[in-house]
Amino acid sequence: MATDRNRQAMRRILLPLLLTLAGAALLYGGGLRAGPYWQVVALTLAMWIALIQSWSIFSGLTGYVSLGHAVAYGLGAYLMATQFRDYPVWVLIPAGGALAGLFALIVAIPVLRIRGPYFVILTFGLAELVKFALLRLETALGASSRLLFGAPGTTTLLAWMVALAAAATLLRHFVGLSRFGRGLIAIREDETAAETLGVPVTRFKVLAFALSAVIPGMVGAVMALRSTYFEVLQVFSPTISFTIVTMAIIGGSGDARGPVLGALFLVGLSELLRGASPQLYLILLGLCLIAFVLFAPNGLSGLLDRRRK
Amino acid sequence: MLDTLLSGQLLFAAAVLGALYALIGLGLNLVYGTMRLLNIAHGDFLMLGAYGAFWWFTLTGISPLIALPLIAAGGAGIGLALYALVFRKQLATGLAPAVIEARSLLLFFGVSVVIQNVTALLFSATPRAYRHLDTVYQIGQTAMTGNRIASLLVALAILGGVLVFLNRTLFGLEIKALIQHREAARIVGINVSRVQIVAIALGFGSAAIAGGLLSMTEQVTPFMGFRFTIAAFVVIIMGGLGNILGGIVAGFLLAVIEIYAVTLFSAEARSILIYGAFVAILLISPQGLLGRARR
Repeated sequence: MATDRNRQAMRRILLPLLLTLAGAALLYGGGLRAGPYWQVVALTLAMWIALIQSWSIFSGLTGYVSLGHAVAYGLGAYLMATQFRDYPVWVLIPAGGALAGLFALIVAIPVLRIRGPYFVILTFGLAELVKFALLRLETALGASSRLLFGAPGTTTLLAWMVALAAAATLLRHFVGLSRFGRGLIAIREDETAAETLGVPVTRFKVLAFALSAVIPGMVGAVMALRSTYFEVLQVFSPTISFTIVTMAIIGGSGDARGPVLGALFLVGLSELLRGASPQLYLILLGLCLIAFVLFAPNGLSGLLDRRRK
Repeated sequence: MLDTLLSGQLLFAAAVLGALYALIGLGLNLVYGTMRLLNIAHGDFLMLGAYGAFWWFTLTGISPLIALPLIAAGGAGIGLALYALVFRKQLATGLAPAVIEARSLLLFFGVSVVIQNVTALLFSATPRAYRHLDTVYQIGQTAMTGNRIASLLVALAILGGVLVFLNRTLFGLEIKALIQHREAARIVGINVSRVQIVAIALGFGSAAIAGGLLSMTEQVTPFMGFRFTIAAFVVIIMGGLGNILGGIVAGFLLAVIEIYAVTLFSAEARSILIYGAFVAILLISPQGLLGRARR
């Protein structure tokens, strides 16, 4: 009995913890040793892992597909770009996360009343609305693009981003194991039944939505330092949200492995096609998405499980 | 100021745009209503129609209005191919409508990315335009170009034709029955898959025609469709999902709002307004403003 419990604790807590740390060390150490080109690849990979894991805390667990996570990313980047001269970076990165979380908390209450596909198109519409409203604000302020001088170098940013990716992975894993996570899964399976059984449906959904925006806000703040200039259309681009969803579908969002697999798959694909035209990459991306939805709706991690059985 | 707002010029512009919005809303409504497929690639079929018209005119020099049946057939053909390859199996799985809606959204997103980028790869992302029927006619205080008049008349004719087809023919009534109640329609002996095929052909064909008409007055690019996808969604949600007549009214309403907003504020206000209307409508009444959705 005791050994059984130990083994279970080992499998659910210790092993994921060790695997995540090992993965993070590999990504950071490998990136450092392999030179500037691979540092950028490692940074990109860590960025997507952090974004998809966070997205999956809300959308993977509750089944409410959000197409609006670019807003969280963009708000973090916007805060960094506008305040970089006045505040230290270590204040602005957490502040970016807090801003994104707060924004998600505010919009969550009206938005989460809407279910199913309408929720998906609503989050998308909302993200575009925020984008164009901010664009108008920036035009009114006379700041069409902003430059950041004296940002930290790639190796520093890589360390931060890997830390964010590891944090997001562990958060996703442990939320999935918790009572809170079980409640979210119950919402995905049958919201009305979950409510009847005493799951505080609204509170859980709102909390998960806000929680899933925090790390993307921090990621956006770090990426603003990486690109050293800020433009609303680029940072709030719907492509970011779409890529998150595509990677999550391809990887599978049933557990914390899926997002890592999805990010590896797409970053690998884009590296392979580096010389080719960007259109070709996007065409393959679209075809992969169609193929996975049709033939493997649980993604790569679902395929792995099926083979094991 | 009031003179400008009541001028025929703005009303004419709103009518031209409204007829196009009504047409693309109609196509989206037919596909959604009969199959619960959320086609977020709808605007990309409009884009394909616009390219069809552009190349037709550039290569043959003959008016694209003549080629509209051909363009419609092309759109319908691609739609039917997608149906056969991708969606027929999904619809036949007997999954819950909510699951089909969610999956179709992702599938059509994939389709949209593929269509846009194949087009960009083939024809480059450079905007293209041509001049056709751009004589200006002066009626009272209102100046109208020939291509806008033609666009309005053709769109109205097609809208009228489809309405007559849906309300006056047995087959059209079968489509409406399927939109209103799928199970009941099946029970009274309606051949569901045959109705779906016709709805697909009409829906995608009308999107391609809208694109052909639009290409006479606007630049054609591989990524132009997106704006119209969103507009089409605003229109059909405003009019009530599956409610054909409501959607047509909503199309003209959206165009009036859009044209007046651009005149009163600025061109940039257009996007804020369309997405603002979209979000507001979904939040206030996901069932539609002009009547309950027919489920």
